[in-house]
Amino acid sequence: MVFGIISILCILLVSLRLTFGRYVSRLSEGRRGISAENIRAYAGWIYRWKISFLKNERWTKSFAYFFNWAQKNYPGWQVWVFYFMGVSYFYLAFSGFFFSWFVSRGLYGFPLLLHVACGAFFALSLTAVAFLKARFYLPGNIKSETNSQTSGGFYCLLLKRSFPRIYLQVVAFWLFILAGFFLILSTLGSMLPYFNYPAQTLFFNLHRWSALVSVVSAILGIDSIID
Amino acid sequence: MNQKDIHSPGLRAVVLAVVVAFIILAVLYISDWLAAQDTGQLETKEKAQWSGSQISPLHRIPLMDEFNEKIIPTAPQALPFSTRYSCAPCHSYETISRGTHFNFRERPKIDRVSEPWLLVDEKVGIQLPVSFQSYPGFWSPEKLGITGWQFVNLFGRNLNGGGPGEPAENELTPDSRWRVSGYLEINCLGCHNHSLLQDHSEWVKQVMRQNFRWAATAASGLGEVSGMASRLPSTWDLQDGPNPDDHEWAIVPEVKYNLNLFDARNNAVLDLPHQPEDSRCLACHSVTPRKEKTKAALDGDVHTASGLKCVDCHRNDISHQMIRGFEGEILTNPRLKAEDFTCAGCHLGKNPEKGGQGFAGRLGAPRPAHRGFPKVHFERLACTVCHSGPLPEKKPERVFTSRANRLGVFGKALWTSDYPLVIEPVYVKGKDEKIYPQRMMWPAFWAEKKGEELVPLDGQAVFGLAPEIFQVKEKVSALISRLQPLADEGFSAAVIVSEFLYLPNVDGSLDVLKPEKLIKVEKNSFSLVQIKGEEIKPLLPSFDPEKAEPDIEDKIMNSLEGLKPVSDGREPVFVVDKVLYRVKEGVLEKVEKSGEPARFPQIGWLKDETSEKLLSDFELRTLSRLGDGVETLTEEQVALVLKKLSGSDSQKEFVYVASGMMFSLDSKGSLRASEHPLARAVSWPLAHNVRPAQQSLGKNGCQDCHSPESRVFFGRIEAESPLKTELKESRLRTDFMRTGRFFQLIFGFTFWIRPVFKLVLAACVSVIGLLLVLVLARVLGRASGMSENKDKQESGR
Repeated sequence: MVFGIISILCILLVSLRLTFGRYVSRLSEGRRGISAENIRAYAGWIYRWKISFLKNERWTKSFAYFFNWAQKNYPGWQVWVFYFMGVSYFYLAFSGFFFSWFVSRGLYGFPLLLHVACGAFFALSLTAVAFLKARFYLPGNIKSETNSQTSGGFYCLLLKRSFPRIYLQVVAFWLFILAGFFLILSTLGSMLPYFNYPAQTLFFNLHRWSALVSVVSAILGIDSIID
Repeated sequence: MNQKDIHSPGLRAVVLAVVVAFIILAVLYISDWLAAQDTGQLETKEKAQWSGSQISPLHRIPLMDEFNEKIIPTAPQALPFSTRYSCAPCHSYETISRGTHFNFRERPKIDRVSEPWLLVDEKVGIQLPVSFQSYPGFWSPEKLGITGWQFVNLFGRNLNGGGPGEPAENELTPDSRWRVSGYLEINCLGCHNHSLLQDHSEWVKQVMRQNFRWAATAASGLGEVSGMASRLPSTWDLQDGPNPDDHEWAIVPEVKYNLNLFDARNNAVLDLPHQPEDSRCLACHSVTPRKEKTKAALDGDVHTASGLKCVDCHRNDISHQMIRGFEGEILTNPRLKAEDFTCAGCHLGKNPEKGGQGFAGRLGAPRPAHRGFPKVHFERLACTVCHSGPLPEKKPERVFTSRANRLGVFGKALWTSDYPLVIEPVYVKGKDEKIYPQRMMWPAFWAEKKGEELVPLDGQAVFGLAPEIFQVKEKVSALISRLQPLADEGFSAAVIVSEFLYLPNVDGSLDVLKPEKLIKVEKNSFSLVQIKGEEIKPLLPSFDPEKAEPDIEDKIMNSLEGLKPVSDGREPVFVVDKVLYRVKEGVLEKVEKSGEPARFPQIGWLKDETSEKLLSDFELRTLSRLGDGVETLTEEQVALVLKKLSGSDSQKEFVYVASGMMFSLDSKGSLRASEHPLARAVSWPLAHNVRPAQQSLGKNGCQDCHSPESRVFFGRIEAESPLKTELKESRLRTDFMRTGRFFQLIFGFTFWIRPVFKLVLAACVSVIGLLLVLVLARVLGRASGMSENKDKQESGR
């Protein structure tokens, strides 16, 4: 229950913050900030944006953008690793949170079996992605990557300034890897015959909270790759 | 009268004496009354509050009869003691009578299902769960038309008295004989009497004799009871006393007290601990696997082996609301403050309130680690699934329960009954979505079908309609036992049908053997044999009738004479070669047989100057079909009985429920089976015997349960009933658990690749972990200056 409420709020707030920040960053310097006028305008903007997804064209464009980004950032066979990770992760997040929010019993039955199977694919592809991409997101390498950032930026409402989106991407990447690490660790731990009931409870909670962090970081990551 | 008379000294002395006597009596009466009041106050005060002593006092108490008069054990025609008046001065009888074992009607509606009383009529194929609890498949006594009187007579052997044994005035029914039998009061001593003389079998015997008011006295060993209230006329009353004219049949029950158990003041001396011995509980609550042939093979409950008594967990206070120990009991038993006596209550103990590890459970219960068990197991399974009952096999095992199969009653005869058929363990999902191991049985009964409703028929009425259809074994037994004169000395007459050998037994039925070496018998035929140990040889002598010895002819005559009373008007004959023996007017007559000479000697019935088979085709089919199984009816018998029932009232529709199905006749008169909610299995949770942790499911890993060949999920549960049929409910264990067959199969397969899965995860977690450590090291290195920034280095150059 607590997890359900917190996770919904968390995902909602992060999404609102990112979209609001994205909206505000499009305004002129003087008009940026939290105001009733901006919120109203934001509401209209986000409404129109959501509505636009009712058209196939929007989806086509979005997927095209995503695939282009993937092919650009994951050359050759690596892109398949990324796709594997994306698809398995989508099912993992969807099944996990859907059952957590709407089914009192939690995840069970065939969706659970598929969840576990996808977990294996996710673990492998995440490991591969971490191995292949870690060097690009190391603190020392960020600067050079920053130069490749073409447009936009991540606008901080508190500091009232924009940061390169690559910073957000770096944070999202390492957060995603870290959460993934705990997700895999908690899955493995719960299957090993060494841990007692309190430990199992710990693994269970670690798994679901890591999943929340992972989803939040994925949202941050997706936001960071959109110009 | 004049003045002088009044003042006469004699008269004055008389008046004075009367006044003094009156004053003395008044003082004595008042002092007695005050003493009684004092005592009463003292006792009430003392008993209302526990003294703090942990020992139970030796009870040196006056026994009171049902008129609240003190019993003088040496008095002639002393009455049996009444617990209502003997125990009540100190212990509230009214409070106790609302306890778990006595108050069946006013139990909470959400009380967990418990073992029903099982109404059995083996001959007619009835096994029906009767209960005061309203759960699906349970029949209330009212619905079955069982009066309180009948209920006590049917199930009194395992009643502790009270409840149905003490009906209110408005519950008395015309068929009852409470005035003769007395009420079946709560038998306090049945549980609490720590005496070698306390005897459950004696209780059963007295209850079956309808000696209700005498039962507790006899069972306690305080007195010996003779006589049978069941034989007394219904007009008899306790005040009538014994019948001096009848010393053989309708003997009035009488108590002869054991004077060794009374002190000089005629008080009974009783050791009554507040905690009953286990044997008292097990008299009614034990369960034994049928496959075990000796008591020595039983392991018992691990708690008992560890030194715990039943009542160490199943506790109660004066309310006698027993703690049953299941999770959620707190909802139905408001006296419980915590679930201390559930499995978890004792084994997990209290949560730590101020840090630390908390405390282990009661009585040193070991705290389980449950290493490697995902949390879902504790949310979806009762502890008993893994820890209680027999380990699951491909098929569940048949068990005897004390109440259902009359265990714990000892006498010359073996009291244990084959019926009802109860099996365990079956894992069933409860309303709380948790799975519990349960005992299960399938109701079997004859019924009138009214729309979708089934109204059970009285077994005796059904039997009375078609006794010849039900009594096949009895009839064959009677016929075979009449042939005993033909058997050699030490041998017993028997008959072989199909691959089985049937031997008449003392109950008037047949014992079935399946010897390794058997005389081969053709289909739909039989062979009369004689058996001694493992030796089997033909029963009927083969001889030349022309040279027949008188000894043989005597045997033949005795057998033919013996068969006459069970011949149903037919004439028994013995045929050998071309000769037919018959008995006419007490003389063995030898006549020529018509037709072909007999290939081998035969005994049977005379028909058209030749011999007809001793056993009918129907009897042969029935015996052949029943074989050595525990079933008592064949489909053919059921169809015949249904036809008889329909014939008795063609407007009504009759059915037989058994094997999880409802059997009825189709338009062609053939038997058909269909499903009906009232034919479904009924089950109730089992909690004992608890196995040691080392023998619990999961001890060897996940594959104890999770594999494609799992006995837990893929064992088969087949309906057990008095009817021998293939048309029976047959389901996988997983169906009762409602966990999905296909899912469990696939899930079971995943455990084959699980080791690889674990290795993959371990490898992934190691690689990612290493990368994270490297990154952390790099960040820390940069932050601490131990590792210089490339850009800085370059700019420094």
